[in-house]
Amino acid sequence: MNNYKHIGKNFIPPDIYGKVNGKAKYAEDFRADGMVFARMYTSPVAHGRVTDIDTSAIDNMEGVVGILTADDVPSTEAPNAAILTNNPAFIGDPILAVAATDERIAEDALNKIKVKIETLPFAVDPLDSLMEGGPDAREEGNVFSRSREGSGFKKIKWTKKQIEEFRAGKEPTGEHATEWNYGNLEQGFKDAALIIEEPFVTTGYAHMSMEPRTAMAYWQNGTCYVYGSAQSQSFWLPGLARLLGVEQDKVVLISENTGGGFGSKIGAYPAAALPGYFSKKLGRPVQLRITREQEFYIGSARVGFQGWIKLGFAEDGRMTAGDVFIIEDIGPNATGGDGSSAGGAISLLYDPEAMRFRGLPVLTNTTPRGAQRGPGQNQIAAIMAPLMDKAAKALDLDRLEIRKINAVNNETTVYAEQRPVTSAYMKEALQKGADLFDWDTKQQFPQKINAPKVRGLGIGQGYHSAGAKGFDGLIRIAPDGKIHLYSGVGNLGTYSYASTTRAAAEVLKCEWDDCIIHNGRSDKNLPWSSYQAGSVSTYAQTRTNYVAAVDAVDKMKNIAAKIHGGKADDFDIDGRHVHHKTTPSKSSTYAEIAQAAIEFGGTFSGAIYPEDIHDITKRSVQNIAGTGLVGVAKDKLPQNGVIPGLAAAFVEIELDLETGKYEIMDYVGIAECGTVVHPQGLDAQMKGGAVWGMGMAGLERHVFDPQNGLPANIGYHQCKVPSYLDVPSVTRTDAVDLPDPQNPFGARGIGEPAMGCAVAALTSAISDALDGYNFGRTPVSSDMILNYVTGNNQSFKPLQTNNF
Amino acid sequence: MNVNLTRRRFIKAVIASSAVASQTGCQLGSKDLHAKGSVERLISLDINGKKRRVDVLPQETLASTLRYKLGLTGTKIGCNRGECGACTVLIDGIPNYACSTLSHSVRKRQVQSIEGVANKDGTLHPIQEAFVEELSPQCGFCTPGQIMSAVALLNENPKPSREEARQALSGNICRCGAYDHYLNGVMRASGQSNE
Amino acid sequence: MPSYDVMPEVQLYQPTEVDDALNLAEKFRQQGWLLGGGQDTYGWLKDRAKNPTALIDLNDIEAFKGIKATSTGIEIGALTTLRDIIRNPLINDHFEILAKAAGRVASPQIRNVGTLGGNLIQDTRCWYYRRGLACYRAGGNLCYADSPEAMNREHALFNASRCVAVSPSDTATALVALNATMVIKNIDGDREMSAEDFFVGPDTHITQMTALEPGEILTGIKLSNEWSNARYYFEKIADRDVWDFALVSIALVIKEEANTVKDSRMVCGGVACTPYRLNKVEQYLKGNPLSEKIITNAAKIASQGAETLNYNHFKIPLMENLVKRALRS
Repeated sequence: MNNYKHIGKNFIPPDIYGKVNGKAKYAEDFRADGMVFARMYTSPVAHGRVTDIDTSAIDNMEGVVGILTADDVPSTEAPNAAILTNNPAFIGDPILAVAATDERIAEDALNKIKVKIETLPFAVDPLDSLMEGGPDAREEGNVFSRSREGSGFKKIKWTKKQIEEFRAGKEPTGEHATEWNYGNLEQGFKDAALIIEEPFVTTGYAHMSMEPRTAMAYWQNGTCYVYGSAQSQSFWLPGLARLLGVEQDKVVLISENTGGGFGSKIGAYPAAALPGYFSKKLGRPVQLRITREQEFYIGSARVGFQGWIKLGFAEDGRMTAGDVFIIEDIGPNATGGDGSSAGGAISLLYDPEAMRFRGLPVLTNTTPRGAQRGPGQNQIAAIMAPLMDKAAKALDLDRLEIRKINAVNNETTVYAEQRPVTSAYMKEALQKGADLFDWDTKQQFPQKINAPKVRGLGIGQGYHSAGAKGFDGLIRIAPDGKIHLYSGVGNLGTYSYASTTRAAAEVLKCEWDDCIIHNGRSDKNLPWSSYQAGSVSTYAQTRTNYVAAVDAVDKMKNIAAKIHGGKADDFDIDGRHVHHKTTPSKSSTYAEIAQAAIEFGGTFSGAIYPEDIHDITKRSVQNIAGTGLVGVAKDKLPQNGVIPGLAAAFVEIELDLETGKYEIMDYVGIAECGTVVHPQGLDAQMKGGAVWGMGMAGLERHVFDPQNGLPANIGYHQCKVPSYLDVPSVTRTDAVDLPDPQNPFGARGIGEPAMGCAVAALTSAISDALDGYNFGRTPVSSDMILNYVTGNNQSFKPLQTNNF
Repeated sequence: MNVNLTRRRFIKAVIASSAVASQTGCQLGSKDLHAKGSVERLISLDINGKKRRVDVLPQETLASTLRYKLGLTGTKIGCNRGECGACTVLIDGIPNYACSTLSHSVRKRQVQSIEGVANKDGTLHPIQEAFVEELSPQCGFCTPGQIMSAVALLNENPKPSREEARQALSGNICRCGAYDHYLNGVMRASGQSNE
Repeated sequence: MPSYDVMPEVQLYQPTEVDDALNLAEKFRQQGWLLGGGQDTYGWLKDRAKNPTALIDLNDIEAFKGIKATSTGIEIGALTTLRDIIRNPLINDHFEILAKAAGRVASPQIRNVGTLGGNLIQDTRCWYYRRGLACYRAGGNLCYADSPEAMNREHALFNASRCVAVSPSDTATALVALNATMVIKNIDGDREMSAEDFFVGPDTHITQMTALEPGEILTGIKLSNEWSNARYYFEKIADRDVWDFALVSIALVIKEEANTVKDSRMVCGGVACTPYRLNKVEQYLKGNPLSEKIITNAAKIASQGAETLNYNHFKIPLMENLVKRALRS
């Protein structure tokens, strides 16, 4: 336990009131004078070339104010996503937009526009594209890899025999595009007493954030004001400016609340720039609200995997070698680096003595992919858990024990470069979960319960790197004594924008009631903050708030020394006053110090600021300079190694052998994220992550008809987003709560592992319920279970993806 | 992919009809205005206890009227087809999807939206208070709908079991997965322990 | 294809008298759309996949609502909400299977406004058809779902004829099991027909799912005492337990005498374009005890004649298992 005043304590985030009284404004809740409404026409074909757009039917249509086509926006080089395109690469690819005085007229107009499209070959399953003679999702090729060394298209084909052998579970022999390794793999397998080798599939699926991504924009004095649905705040600006073709200081992003993102709104996406171009063309504000169906199309989706894995284990359970080959379904825009991240997760979570990752990112004409909560790490977590169970069984080890034997700890080195970790306590997380779940007792329960039900117990582990550095912190103490905390991190619903500012309050020792958070609009003088993604904000933003507050305290002491005489070091703070350590009567309030800062100017008031801060922070400091004491600094705190966010989960299910459905009877999730900063927020992430894991394990998947490229699931019903009744009424969580040495408060992030541990625990439990049978697939739907139980074939080909 | 509408014959909601591709004009001022049962456009709605005169198109949904005519943007449109629950409002005390309700059908009824949940003096309803204390909302987009379902439940059943609450809120999707926290909020608001 | 979600222009009529409703139904027999709870209406209109010129809202007609006892059983107005059916004492005391089935429909909000008539008449959920494709059911000349690589996990095992869509209604299976009678009106008068005859397959009428003709209104559902208080079983298996449609559902009412089956009616949802009555199982059971052997045989008989598509063969064991569960209950 620590003795912090704010860190580790619950508080009421200021924006929550707006969420419960309906006043919180999301992008679509904003209106501007003279605003018109845009609607998009999206591609009806999976791959094609627009040859003609006939808009004559709406030329004189009342209420229609304009049309925007790909010719009106900057062209984008394939395979990158365009704002509008004449080369659609999936059903739903935006081709044009119409603006009208109301949405219905805009839709009436869309109905009358005739778009001619020449169709091109398409693929919805990477293996179909990889097959010799198979279709390419892009005219330029079927493979696109992005790397620091260079990105580019390739055309890679495997022979029919190679595809068939891969489908049969053999090691792939076809060409791959990326590779990394460490250790002596051959020796690792030679040393193994047990080798497990299996193919696997994880099907991608849509993010389906609750808020369809609306954007509204207008121009004022050369500046574009964008009301968008953004996961991050400051981090969006460079990308948004680039999309709009303006300098960063000529764009203002208003994103006070965001209705979910889960990785799909990390940086500015093309649709957010569409209203900017449309508004410029029409000379009036334009709002683009998209339909739920369109949110399915352009709202991003998880990368799918088709892979093969081989693991070696020593007699004592230690993993001696890991070899993984992953074909990544990267959609039409070659987005998502999930494969290598999955390899990294194996390296970190199970620490094989030698390892190799081979990847092949294949383009498909399915919806664009992107980061989705634990991109790569969570897919592989689901695949690894039943394999660890299998190994435990073969080696006669307890399933908990084999995970502890291989658990990441402070000494583990990870990834190709075998980097250190900042700290890691997976063994402790597993034990804490086992205790809370009562693993030992539950293991003694019979597997057969009331027929036709069988019990299954599962253990899952999740990982995602959970920190970043180098962003800026900014605070201001006003002459009235109020502490202004500036956060440019975005408001996704994790409340970390607020909880991390408490790091500054902690340093200043002030009361929370005296603090005011500024966030949500880039013209509110926000600093360059971390992205609200990748589980980084807790780690990154406690650091930025810390360094800004330390800078402020230093300035406060210097000012006190100037006022009262002596050296800065002679002074200390108590939350309201800066006082002399030995002569307490030499004391000034924070308010007086702030007033003095204005008078002294220079660095104290923000008139002078560090050169190494980001331009965005510089502009903000310039705006607030002279209005109080400004604490501003770039986070240059030491940081070395991988910052792991870790989680362990335990689950008990009852599976009905007659229906293939299962019920989750108990769920325990344990966070290992260093010091707990915001207990309620952590609990919310752990439980929300568990719901995501439950959706991935059993319900959610992309389904495309390979004959025409049509997606089957464009709405909430068909996407099978879990409801109240598909998850347990109560889930339990806790945290290890051991500090990380490389964060001033010991904190690391957690959002993504919270899901990975859950999906893994479930695939493990399903396998346990079925006497160790491993589907090697997500999701495992009830029909698959029923087909297995009745001895019938599955409906799909081995390794087929994007299917029922 | 062409939808051949003119050749189609379908039956739905009891009457058979042939679809026509073209739309007829606005019926206001047409002879149909005098047909028995046709609707006037300027109507009075009882929203959160206040009479609101509003010009409502015949086909307009309550979610559109609330959001775009009356500025009550707390009612959210998540799917606009009755699959998510973000637009839930109470009509005569019963939860409805406002995106799938015609405004004309609520003329003689009382509509309560999220803006009408707090007490007149601005203090929060116990559900709202409990949702704050339990940190129930995450992104908050589904929250108004969750609150409306919860308010209706407690009006009818002041001390629901957790299972009853789960069933009552089950028509409200939360993509953040805050179900557990919402149920904790309902139990807290009804004066029941979450232990 | 454009994606729409705004209600298109359409006329709205809200009659309060039966005669006005019947006149409107006649007047707009070609281009009108009768509106119950509307939960399977607005999506079609917003998608512009169906384009009626007039909506005739029946909700203000009191005569079409309510549940009342009659000398031979009970009569339910077609505009009665599922909420009212779930909560109604008469139904719960005598025909609980209907309340159970109604309770598994969609979500609370939909049950609050969704009507029994609307639930019975709702259109199929075939995702190809719902996308507005010109399939047989939409007046075109092919079936997208019955093709070599189609994604047809939710489609039919029985009685497909060009179209392989299935009946989505939960209450329909219960009402066919209860041998309900449908009351239908038009301006010329009334007609009645059994629930079983009311639902029609693609072999009879490929573009409609019921026997309702243009200008007709389903106004009521009669339940005779024949199956009042009979032992029953209802179960619906769907991917999600809210807002989802049956992969397979089962409704059974059964009467036993001296440890043998005197009579039964058993109906599956989600396996055919109509509620699929298991006549052969019913015949087989008659006079037999419900031994494990008889039950196993009954399950096998149930799935006889099933013709599977690429992705739906799991429905055979699922259906057989539900038959067993129903009979063991």
